[in-house]
Amino acid sequence: MFQLTNEQDYERVRNRYIPEIIEGDMDSIRPEVKRFYSSQGSQISDKSHNQETTDLHKCISRIHRSTSDHEKTNLCVLVTGALGGRFDHEAANINILYLFSDMRIVLLSDDCLIRLLPKTHKHDIYIESSVEGPHCGLFPVGAPSGSTTTTGLKWNLSEAKMRFGSMISTSNIVHAEKVTVQSDADLLWTISLRNLT
Amino acid sequence: MAPTPPVRPVMSHSSAFLLPSPPSSSAAPDGDGDAYALLVLNQRLPRFAPLLWDRARVRVCADGGANRLFDDMPELLPGQDPDEVRRRYKPDVIKGDLDSIRPEVKEYYSNMGTQIVDESHDQDTTDLHKCITFVTEKLAIPNRSNLCILVLGALGGRFDHEMGNINVLHLFPTNRIILLSDDCLIFLLPRTHTHNIHIESIEGPHCGLIPIGAPSTTTTTTGLRWNLGKPPTSSIQYQQQLVLNLQILSPDDTSMSFGGLISTSNIVEEESVTINSDSDLIWTISLRHHS
Repeated sequence: MFQLTNEQDYERVRNRYIPEIIEGDMDSIRPEVKRFYSSQGSQISDKSHNQETTDLHKCISRIHRSTSDHEKTNLCVLVTGALGGRFDHEAANINILYLFSDMRIVLLSDDCLIRLLPKTHKHDIYIESSVEGPHCGLFPVGAPSGSTTTTGLKWNLSEAKMRFGSMISTSNIVHAEKVTVQSDADLLWTISLRNLT
Repeated sequence: MAPTPPVRPVMSHSSAFLLPSPPSSSAAPDGDGDAYALLVLNQRLPRFAPLLWDRARVRVCADGGANRLFDDMPELLPGQDPDEVRRRYKPDVIKGDLDSIRPEVKEYYSNMGTQIVDESHDQDTTDLHKCITFVTEKLAIPNRSNLCILVLGALGGRFDHEMGNINVLHLFPTNRIILLSDDCLIFLLPRTHTHNIHIESIEGPHCGLIPIGAPSTTTTTTGLRWNLGKPPTSSIQYQQQLVLNLQILSPDDTSMSFGGLISTSNIVEEESVTINSDSDLIWTISLRHHS
């Protein structure tokens, strides 16, 4: 975190960014890091006995359990570090979006963000063009789509079929302030993030 | 007695090309006679790029991949003169939109004899797709049936690029195409075949099987810590499993889908992994890091 700020005093930066909870297997966290945050008040939630689920699954489960249905509509879970790296980890993290499709979860990297558009809803995506775009895409990960319709893209889809092994929407461009998507399949939406230098 | 499954042709896989010694000396089934093509896409080169370059018979950069080659190869060979490295690691072809390649990089390789192929008129296919078409159709390669296309820079970065690259694996299911990063490699296991994956020392133990395009109702594996599918039907093998106290999966532990079970963080336990599925699957395995 210190490297991402312009501050001089690394201790001050570290002390300012304290997580409420550290959760998971605890097989990657360095002992001195665990000691530091524990001493700063972070709750250490050791779930190493549970080998059935990934670290992200454990974290999302915790949030899911402690959030009422009403609160869930206003809650958006932002996740960093879920993309790239080991491909099986990335796939498992994407699967979390499907397993917890009643929650808004956004996976972010330096280059882009992704979110699930469940087939149960029509989607209005408001584009923040100062920070995202123009490159975007829609992917029928998990199952093909027999009919997808969009507005607001350079190459819109009109009751189009999409599946891996045939057509999927990559390197599309957002062309309006609002993009709408309606599909008979769960789709992954992705949009590039602008380089804010 | 359970009905025997239909007999499918066997497809063998091996990552022997990542071994420091030449592939023909490895024990892998298809170690002899494989011809490698190397494609470089627009991301930082992984640490083993020089090794794969030396293995390949033909090397193609997709647009901005040429920038990465120019910038990163000297860094991967720090003991050597950068100009000498650039001269030695010169691609045969640079192909694609040519909207990412820096002008000075394009000029440098063009002057050295690299063929520059401008495909900016074709906006329907991705850079990787264009390169695969080029390698499979236009290049005169002996042992074409043993052609294996190694791709660097196809994973990570912009997610729509990654998805487009994974779609290329599905669009060319009969070609051997392997996407590699510093952390792992992935390739397609088409449903038309039974797959035999020989596990090399430089890969593993973490692996996974992912049904990206469509769910799988029946997948059977051997050689993994958590295998999928029914236990062996032979009663002798079944008895052996009971004696060894292996987990016996229920007949339902065989279907995979997003929103349900997918096989991730699995572990390779044997030298050879076999996979049979009614759906195209992506196989992934981690690559070991040297200290």
